[in-house]
Amino acid sequence: MKKMRDRNLVASLFLLLFCAGYAYLTANLATRAIENTTQPSFFPWVITACLTVLSFSLFVQACIPNSIQTVPKPLDIPPKRLGCALILSISYLALLPILGFVGANILLFSGLMYLYGERRLTQILTFSFLISIIIFYLFREIFQIRLPAGILERIL
Amino acid sequence: MSPDIINGFLQASQVTTIIAVASGCFIGLIIGMIPGLTISTGIIIVLPLTFVLEPDISIALLLGLYVSGMTGGSFSAILLNIPGTPSASATALDGHPMAKKGEGGRALGIAIIASFIGGLFSFLCLYLIAPILAEIALKFKSPDLFSLVFFGLTIICSFAAKSLIKGLLSAVIGLAIVTIGQDPMMGTTRFTFDQVNLISGIHFLTALIGLFAIPQLADNLSDILQAKTQNKNSSSINSILPKILDLKLMRLPMIIGSAIGSFLGILPGAGGPIAAFISYDYARKFSKKSEEFGKGSPEGIAAPESANNAVTGGALIPMMTLGIPGDPVTAILIGALLIHGLAPGPLLFVENGEFAYGIIFSFFWANIFNVVIALIGLRYLVRVLTIPKTLLMPTIAILCVIGSYALRNNFFDVYVMFSFGLLGIIMRWLDIPIVPLLLAMVLGRQLEEHLRVSLISSQNDITVFFTSPFSLLFLCLAGASIFWSFWAEHKSKKETF
Repeated sequence: MKKMRDRNLVASLFLLLFCAGYAYLTANLATRAIENTTQPSFFPWVITACLTVLSFSLFVQACIPNSIQTVPKPLDIPPKRLGCALILSISYLALLPILGFVGANILLFSGLMYLYGERRLTQILTFSFLISIIIFYLFREIFQIRLPAGILERIL
Repeated sequence: MSPDIINGFLQASQVTTIIAVASGCFIGLIIGMIPGLTISTGIIIVLPLTFVLEPDISIALLLGLYVSGMTGGSFSAILLNIPGTPSASATALDGHPMAKKGEGGRALGIAIIASFIGGLFSFLCLYLIAPILAEIALKFKSPDLFSLVFFGLTIICSFAAKSLIKGLLSAVIGLAIVTIGQDPMMGTTRFTFDQVNLISGIHFLTALIGLFAIPQLADNLSDILQAKTQNKNSSSINSILPKILDLKLMRLPMIIGSAIGSFLGILPGAGGPIAAFISYDYARKFSKKSEEFGKGSPEGIAAPESANNAVTGGALIPMMTLGIPGDPVTAILIGALLIHGLAPGPLLFVENGEFAYGIIFSFFWANIFNVVIALIGLRYLVRVLTIPKTLLMPTIAILCVIGSYALRNNFFDVYVMFSFGLLGIIMRWLDIPIVPLLLAMVLGRQLEEHLRVSLISSQNDITVFFTSPFSLLFLCLAGASIFWSFWAEHKSKKETF
């Protein structure tokens, strides 16, 4: 119970900070000199007000020691695997514009296969190559969605 | 009979549309039965494939997937005791015990027939109620529409969250995200940070892919041992068609399930799982053999299965007539319609009546093909349960990336998708529901537009929302929904103490 209260406290403080940032940006929005009309900042101000009230309510709720707050089922991922998944995702996003969809997808696919528990190298290599290429051509040729191939453009 | 109805039926009965419905049903049954994949994820995966299709064919395919996904979820619930979709959780209570007795085929047969009846009942509701509701909705003016959307948001928050504050927070965060890009009235850019990619805002489907698919992929990462073993113990399937005695037993639970499912489907946010459990509970109360519930009772399978399939037609009613999604799947369907330049709402029946009725009849065909494909292909379809997650999950990841890229042919959307994935994981960690955020993203623009148009037309007079009877009614309902949620939360806390 205390664990969830701590989480709510962190979330409410973060949200209050977010509110402040959002309000600052809203205050600096361009205005239009048209009579009897609402400005572009009108709706963001409404949101700022609602968000502030709700974040503050969450903060109060987090401060009340007796409030019942159940902790959701945690994502029970071993930290090492979680770290690997994060590194894999970031590398994928960085490499995607350079390698294009085929190259980057082969890397992502093989990495994910390993993370999901596949340890046979031949299986990893075969399926990551095969499925990435099939999906690429399926979208490119049949669905006519032009997927960039990056440095492999000349080969594919 | 209106020419729109006839043309709609003919449109839905064209060979290409029928093929699309059947393909959707086939994919839906497969996706539905795979534990760890929800119908929403399935539709997200398939959606990019529909960009090149005609709107009627595209929607027909997605409807097939929606209907069959609900039925497919019961297959793994019965055979493995792992519900393929949350809506099939109640089915597992009696379905799996029956399968353990060696009557897996019988349980699956009951589930398929009950799904069919539930779907058909909700089709009738959709066919009869939607045009009437659309006609009433045509009379709505901006203040009424604002209040309606506002009511939709409050009811979604109260249904989707254990804590109303968190539900509302999720919705307000969604509204804040919607303000990124051009303002809907004057075209002024807001919160774009001079980023060209943000001028047209954050695409709702990009956010949706990230919010739903990434946490699910992460979730599956945590149970690789289970993933390796779970799929090997599906029991053998004997005769599928239910016997006359079973059909007699199923009558009342199917009526209960169909009525509850259709009604709860109309309410935004209630969804399949709630309908399934409520129907299960009522079926047990009305049953002469209530002691058999939980031990493999046919009634215990029929009630929730008819209910979760009846939800599909019910959820289409507010989506088509008011433009308000009843659940995440109908929210995606709205996105799919918008991509094709069609806005769901009362005007859909006026401006595109043929198309609107086409959707309704495609839904009818979806229910027919669902039962046909499920009954004929069941023995082969359940083999999908043996596909290892080591292949399935990476394939889904790749399809999600391509799907978000294909929306606007832009790498930026892929980055946005991953960011929303991270947000989804954080929200789960904080126990903040995702659905209100998603629905706020769908409805946010309309909410702002109607609010500002109302204020401009009334020269900033706020009483305009209270002088119109429709608007007043929706605001009262919104107030009641918020009050009810607070009261329910307070009551549950009291009971816990």
